[in-house]
Amino acid sequence: MTVLTEETGKVAAEQRPPARKRHAGERIWAFAFASPYILHLVALAAWPLLASLFFSMTDYDLLSSPKFVGFDNFTRLFGDPVFWRTLGNTAYFAVLFVPTQTALALALAIALNQRLRGMALFRAAYFVPVVSSWVVVAYVADAVFNPQTGIANQVLGLFGLPAENWLQDPALVIPTLAAVAVWKGVGYMTVLFLAGLQAIPEDRYEAAKIDGASAWNRFRYITLPGISGTTFLVLVLTSIETLQSFEQVFVMTDGGPHGASELTVLYLYRQGFQFFQMGYASAIAWVLFVMVLALTLVQFRLQRRWVHYA
Amino acid sequence: MRKTVSYVLVLAGAVVMLLPFAAALGNSLKSFAQYIQVPPVWIPDPVQWDNYAEVWRRTPFGLYLVNSLVIAVLAVAGNVLTSAMVGHALARMRLPGKQTLLTMALGTMMLPTVITIVPNFLLFRSLGWLDSLLPLIVPYWLATPIGIFLMRQTFLGIPQDFEEAAGLDGANPWQVFWRIHLPLAKPALATLAVFTFTTSWKAVLEPTIYLTSPENYTLPVGVLSLKGQFVGNDQLVTAAAMMSLLPMLVVFVLAQRYFVRGTMSAGLKG
Repeated sequence: MTVLTEETGKVAAEQRPPARKRHAGERIWAFAFASPYILHLVALAAWPLLASLFFSMTDYDLLSSPKFVGFDNFTRLFGDPVFWRTLGNTAYFAVLFVPTQTALALALAIALNQRLRGMALFRAAYFVPVVSSWVVVAYVADAVFNPQTGIANQVLGLFGLPAENWLQDPALVIPTLAAVAVWKGVGYMTVLFLAGLQAIPEDRYEAAKIDGASAWNRFRYITLPGISGTTFLVLVLTSIETLQSFEQVFVMTDGGPHGASELTVLYLYRQGFQFFQMGYASAIAWVLFVMVLALTLVQFRLQRRWVHYA
Repeated sequence: MRKTVSYVLVLAGAVVMLLPFAAALGNSLKSFAQYIQVPPVWIPDPVQWDNYAEVWRRTPFGLYLVNSLVIAVLAVAGNVLTSAMVGHALARMRLPGKQTLLTMALGTMMLPTVITIVPNFLLFRSLGWLDSLLPLIVPYWLATPIGIFLMRQTFLGIPQDFEEAAGLDGANPWQVFWRIHLPLAKPALATLAVFTFTTSWKAVLEPTIYLTSPENYTLPVGVLSLKGQFVGNDQLVTAAAMMSLLPMLVVFVLAQRYFVRGTMSAGLKG
């Protein structure tokens, strides 16, 4: 038996092409397998980066060919009060949305981590808004925040509080949008936190209990450091996403009332696709891009100070 | 005690999550008179099932549905196949510059969408693809960074022996991939499939930019356009919105565990 296998093995080795040729063949195969992504890198990464940089220095209305104008778009942009207002709106939205969602998601994840009965069902409830499109959410939110027919004012009325105009009130529109965004996104972040919590070894809690640590101290000294990595990730993801928030305001308020909820990407969209100022839109995109990069870098720097990787 | 507090918190949260959907569902079943009634009625009386039929009668809702389905199915097929191929090359094949490609995949994951909006529009315009479904499908056939990472991780975890056994039988790399590795990666493929389906189904920005004729609209853009057609009759638009959610909910209920897994693997991207 052994002899026979050795024999066939030898024959197979002799019939195979020499190693160098074989490796060349493997490389061609490997390139063929990787080719979709190589094309992706060229068409959907390198091209947008370079093209938007180029167009940001042109005047381009889609009809006539792009005209080079140097840094004019950026000069105009930095002197554009609407642009600054949209940045302020975006920052205000982010300041309300990011911490609220993170804190709520953490609280829910800790609660869900108690091995509650029916947890799968709860998780499903929290996930339905996550898988809904913003168009669906807009009509669901309307059932709540419509000043005349929504249930929010009805609830306020129960407590004897005056009715509000919610999305139609310039002072309330961003807080209301942030509340809806938390409602939509919190389930996703909860699942991320749950994964982080489940990675903390159980015996740490056991040991702390034996040593007489209080529930608060166990949370403060075991849970919080244990999920600092996840918290970091959640903060990076949500702040990047929030800077680029578009669909929610596009669908729910179209920037109104009176521009009170016009976020920067909505402004970009209008400049590009309603006024066909592709150069100006590209300049806005690049400024946002640099801000996203800067934010990511800052967060990675700060991470060293407070994130513990066990 | 702690469990009780947790239960109350989680239960209250679940009510807050689902009550607005119930209210919207209620709205979608009201007559116009009842829809605008103040103070609002919670349970429609009579239940106006005809709102849903009216959406079908008066709008190309069926077309929107077919467009959304065609795009989602082709996006899923493309992303699953190509991401698996690239992930396989990065995990199991002799590919020069493998590390560079991996780093670049991480870099593109960080590439913000805003930077791609204008250039991609111009690219698809020069290809003559505007107002067609192609810009919403073809990018998924060029693999996605999340998919690549997920599949690479999966293929790295498959023992070497399988491959060697097949290699001796004279199978070429495609056969090794297709017949041996792909079937072993089914859970990851399902995870990527539901993730892609959801992304494609929910999209608002891209179809808004690329589609102009109503017969090419996807569900989100189509439903949004009904606002103009049904001026004031938002109970009808709400009915359309509820219907547009239904296929997504079916997928979600059937594949819930893959959604959770997908969230976690997407979370690993940083």
